[in-house]
Amino acid sequence: MRGLLDRETVALLLLASVVPLAVTWLLATGTDSLLRLVFVLAAAGFWHLAFMLARAQPPSFAGAFTALAVAVLAPVELGVIPMLIGISFGIVAGELAFGGWGRNVVNPAAVTITFLGFGFPAAPWPDLPVQLGWSVAAVVPIGIVTGVMSWRVVAAAALVLAAGAYGLSLETSVLTAASVVLVLLVCDPVASAATTLGRWLYGMLYGALVLIFAIGWQGAGPVQAAVSAALIASLAAPLLDEIAISLWLARRKRLG
Amino acid sequence: MFAPVSARLPTYTRPRGAAALIDVKDGAWNIRFPYIRIDGTRAGVTIRTEITDQCALYARPEDDFRVEVLVARGGKVPQGMPVLRSRKHPALTLVAPVAGEVAAIDLGPGRRLSRMLFFHAPESGRYEHDVTTAASGDAAATRMLLLSAGLWPSLRSRPFGRIPAPDETPSAIFVMAIDTRPDAPSPRLALEGREEDLAAGLRALAGLTAGPVVLCQDRGPDIGGAAGLGARHSIRKVAPVHPHGLAGFQLVACHPAAPGRPVWDIHAEDVAAVGALLRTGLVARTRLVSVAGPALRERRLVRCQPGADLRALSYEIARPGPHRLLSGSLLDGSESRWLGRWHRQVTGIPDGERDRRPHWFSAALRGARRPLPIIPTAALDQAFGGALPAAPLVRAIAANDAETATRLGALSLTEEDVALADYVTGASPRLSTMLRSMLERIAAEEEA
Repeated sequence: MRGLLDRETVALLLLASVVPLAVTWLLATGTDSLLRLVFVLAAAGFWHLAFMLARAQPPSFAGAFTALAVAVLAPVELGVIPMLIGISFGIVAGELAFGGWGRNVVNPAAVTITFLGFGFPAAPWPDLPVQLGWSVAAVVPIGIVTGVMSWRVVAAAALVLAAGAYGLSLETSVLTAASVVLVLLVCDPVASAATTLGRWLYGMLYGALVLIFAIGWQGAGPVQAAVSAALIASLAAPLLDEIAISLWLARRKRLG
Repeated sequence: MFAPVSARLPTYTRPRGAAALIDVKDGAWNIRFPYIRIDGTRAGVTIRTEITDQCALYARPEDDFRVEVLVARGGKVPQGMPVLRSRKHPALTLVAPVAGEVAAIDLGPGRRLSRMLFFHAPESGRYEHDVTTAASGDAAATRMLLLSAGLWPSLRSRPFGRIPAPDETPSAIFVMAIDTRPDAPSPRLALEGREEDLAAGLRALAGLTAGPVVLCQDRGPDIGGAAGLGARHSIRKVAPVHPHGLAGFQLVACHPAAPGRPVWDIHAEDVAAVGALLRTGLVARTRLVSVAGPALRERRLVRCQPGADLRALSYEIARPGPHRLLSGSLLDGSESRWLGRWHRQVTGIPDGERDRRPHWFSAALRGARRPLPIIPTAALDQAFGGALPAAPLVRAIAANDAETATRLGALSLTEEDVALADYVTGASPRLSTMLRSMLERIAAEEEA
């Protein structure tokens, strides 16, 4: 039992928790999606293999999680070459160049998707089927019970989004995109905040950014807004952690 | 199963190599506690007293314990008689753990203690220390008595998790009357019937510090309330969940250690031993130890001497097949022949993994990227008891960033505190190893 929760087990648990989402997505969108997923898996797998052979860097199941997120959220109707360029950039510069999953700073899938979205602005963003949003209700408990997703992040984001949905009457598509991005990108344990208070702040920041983009960003697709919010939130995560640690230290001053 | 053992196996005819079973008065040392709750069950607990034939005082090379030997090889020593004196701190002595004969003295280069082996021979009796000045409440005399009677090493000083220097004054003392490690013996059992010893020991400890004496215990009735220390004595009730019962996390929560602000911790049974020494002049003969583990058929509670022979304690209940014996728990134990200084557990684990060598390719991949990344999960947070920012601390330890680790409270921790995180995450190299080398480095910088 020693070493039960090492890096690969955590990656497998993450994969297991998103199975409901993956199945719902494949059922709702059909064979094209399956081909797309296989293509992204192959491209990501190639780079994992290349880094294993060239840099002795063990490949990780987290690559499959990244591939699923890219396949679900990346802009559609891109050609093979743009997709390859985007995936290569995201996987290599977002994760493998840092030493593999666990050492990366931002989520490689978020890097890939924003690269593709902003690099090829003519490509339309995907329309997520509404049942995908409901499948998140099955993903979150699995992730929280296995401990690979932080309930604080989920709760904070859900609170802010629920308040926004109540006060601003958001469209369903925004909420669907926000919840799918929440489990696929925001809850990645490596790129998210890692302290108790930091996680609350991180989830709230993500929710708040989604709300701000929904109101103020004209012409942005729901997925585009949610992915951008996730990327900005994960860039802010170290700052949020530092704030949390400073507050923790300030409270401990009296202990000497 | 445990009929009065003295009848079965009189001490004078015991076979060599087997554990001796002492009977003091009609086998009264084979104490039974019929109605003590352990782990929430109302089960009868049998505690056997086993003085193993061999036992040893030992030190690891990295302890750098240079000694002056006070007895000759082959000499008869009563239990509790000083046998080794530290050359660095001449006031500090170690005493014979058992009445018997000095069988071997192994010293390394520079007179560093490697091992001092004893054979048990009950006829050598017990050594009586002079306690008249210390018993009157004189703090300096108490300190000298603890040093000369070999009880000083039961204290542990943080930062750095070492035996405190003889002239060190702690800013607080934590008395651990709870042990949450898997299969650990309940300190309540160890303290059963020793309330007065514990109270005397707590009073003596309070004389060594001007700060608080914090007793950490489970949520049952208060322990050690009879000491009469007033406001300086506080009881801290701890959730009976590992790792909350480790001293490190209690320190972090209410009295963090820092250089120049040392905090000591000591097990409650050792405090009772201090009290007993002050009241009688005799060094405690045994400590309560649990013998358990996946390679053993059953869990046993025994009272055995410090430095007892782990093989003798476990050979009766070992499962067939190769196994290793750890001094300490499954999480923080280390392979050893003898019971370690602060350990109250013997763990037997199956030993089959040495022969399974991984394929060279996976071995190369595994060895190439170390330390392995640790993913911050709920499991990691719980392995640190929620008392510390776990993920940033683990990252700082793995990156050997002493400054950040110090800021996050690493100086209050020792290896045993990160052992659970090691176990859960399978960190490689182990967090406890990395933390120890970081602490050694910080200590060297502090001394320089």
